[in-house]
Amino acid sequence: MNILSNIGKSSLLAASIFWIIILSDTFDWDMIPFIFLSLIPIYICCAFTILITICPIFWFLKSDDYSKRRIFKTYFPIYTITMFSFCVYCIYKTSFEVFILSFFISAYITTAQSWVWFSKENVVIK
Amino acid sequence: MKHLIIIISSILFSTLFYNQYIGLNLSIFSVLSVIVLAISNTHKFRNKITIFYTLMYLITAVLVFIQYTNLSILANIIAFTTLVGSVTESKSSIYVQWYNGVYTSIAGFLHRRFLKQTIEEKKTSKRNIDVLHLVKLVGIPLVFIIIFIVLYKNGNPIFNDIISKINFNFINLQWLLFTVLGYYLFSNIFKPVQVDSATNLDLQTGNILYKPDTFSTEAIEKEKQLGIILLLLLNILIVFYLTTDIISLTTTRPTDASVYSSQVHNGINTLIASIIIAIVIILYFFRGNLNFFKDNKNLKNLAYTWIFLNTTLVIIIAIKNYEYIASFGLTYKRIGVNIYLFLTFIGLITTFLKVSKIKNLWFLFRINTQIAFVLLILFSFVNWDYSITKYNINHAPSLDLNYLINLSNNNAVLLNEYRESANLSSEQDNKILAKHRNYIKTVKDRNWQEYTYSNFNIKTTNEYTK
Repeated sequence: MNILSNIGKSSLLAASIFWIIILSDTFDWDMIPFIFLSLIPIYICCAFTILITICPIFWFLKSDDYSKRRIFKTYFPIYTITMFSFCVYCIYKTSFEVFILSFFISAYITTAQSWVWFSKENVVIK
Repeated sequence: MKHLIIIISSILFSTLFYNQYIGLNLSIFSVLSVIVLAISNTHKFRNKITIFYTLMYLITAVLVFIQYTNLSILANIIAFTTLVGSVTESKSSIYVQWYNGVYTSIAGFLHRRFLKQTIEEKKTSKRNIDVLHLVKLVGIPLVFIIIFIVLYKNGNPIFNDIISKINFNFINLQWLLFTVLGYYLFSNIFKPVQVDSATNLDLQTGNILYKPDTFSTEAIEKEKQLGIILLLLLNILIVFYLTTDIISLTTTRPTDASVYSSQVHNGINTLIASIIIAIVIILYFFRGNLNFFKDNKNLKNLAYTWIFLNTTLVIIIAIKNYEYIASFGLTYKRIGVNIYLFLTFIGLITTFLKVSKIKNLWFLFRINTQIAFVLLILFSFVNWDYSITKYNINHAPSLDLNYLINLSNNNAVLLNEYRESANLSSEQDNKILAKHRNYIKTVKDRNWQEYTYSNFNIKTTNEYTK
């Protein structure tokens, strides 16, 4: 499992989605430096989320009998439904505010895609 | 062909929902979803169960348009996930269909992409590198160009003026993003996916308990004795409780709403605890071997008696609730109590069937969730706000008008008619008038995507002119 690479890719994906949604609402050239600065907190958020919520599932479950593909097929649905429900709840609670909306949409898509990246590496097809 | 269908559907999705409230758009979306599912999974739509769920889904779509209640919208969403889950695997239980339906709707595209990638991984390793290279080719220059534009902007006022004049307002990026959301949704449901572990387990598990080859008679005998003593004592206790309850029901007649409310809600709390414990105990004792023990007749009779006594408890609380409604009118809570009582009654009947027909726990889950789904659809046929208002105006001896005013706008016309005929306080009169005006304005300002049946109904009765 290449965790660093995954976190890096996830951070870029999250930043892209987050800023595309925000800039679709209001665009200003003066916001550009903040886009680059925001990569730091986004990286920290992604690292925490991935290390706390996704990696342990692979660390604890992966074995010779339990391939990544099997882990994905069994646990990804539970994870993604939980994550989706949590994000929708938070968005609903904050009355669809653009900043929160973009944060949770990017969080949901990034974590889901991160699962695909983790599961894809060195897959043993059974 | 697949992409063309999804692109057309996603553009329609944006047209229907972008910056719009729910209304006719949800009904049209339902028809569109059925068409997309039917095109991509034609053979699945020959199945009777799938056809049944399609009809249910379309009925809820019509109900959203006609009734326009939160319940009909909820029923429509649940019917949608059920249909998608049914297209995935029609033979599975309804709760597994919900699981598959929700999973497909939110992550079907990623699931299929993962499966496709793992199968084709070795063959297409070059293609992956090419994609990465393409991303680099576009991404890196773009990032540096943006950085340098920002830097040069501060260094040259003419350059700054020109850059500031660049206006992308002609592109509605939000509309585009909304279309992407539609594309993602239709990609998800185009080929529904299933959670293999849950679906296979469900398909392999039947409804009937099977007799084991051998079991310890001594252990079963001890368990039976425990069961008999426990259920006997609980039966005596519930008989005592019911007797006192019937005495209090026939001798005292509270006139105060708060006393009635307290009685009914205390009864409900008792009922919840009683029914849950009853079902858990019955399920515990009849979980396995005791079902096949030849000397289990007394225990079964005690279990049936307890189910019967709990049913009596349901009836007594229903009577209390009926009297409460007859005195103080309908409210959502009081209707909720009735629905809960009905569901409890169904739960007791299915528990009885489980014991008498030697069924397993899955039987209970399956049948109860199916019944709950059908009831949800049936309840969404009713415009509750309108019905509560009509009942209370015509039948309730004590009318809580403020409660009715605070309900949704579905009762605005009815309340306004009542206002015109009754002699109300000026405060209530103004509130109802404001509510009615607000309703008429909301209906009038709707775009075609937000239309409901009330739009046509109001136009025909010339409500706008009032």
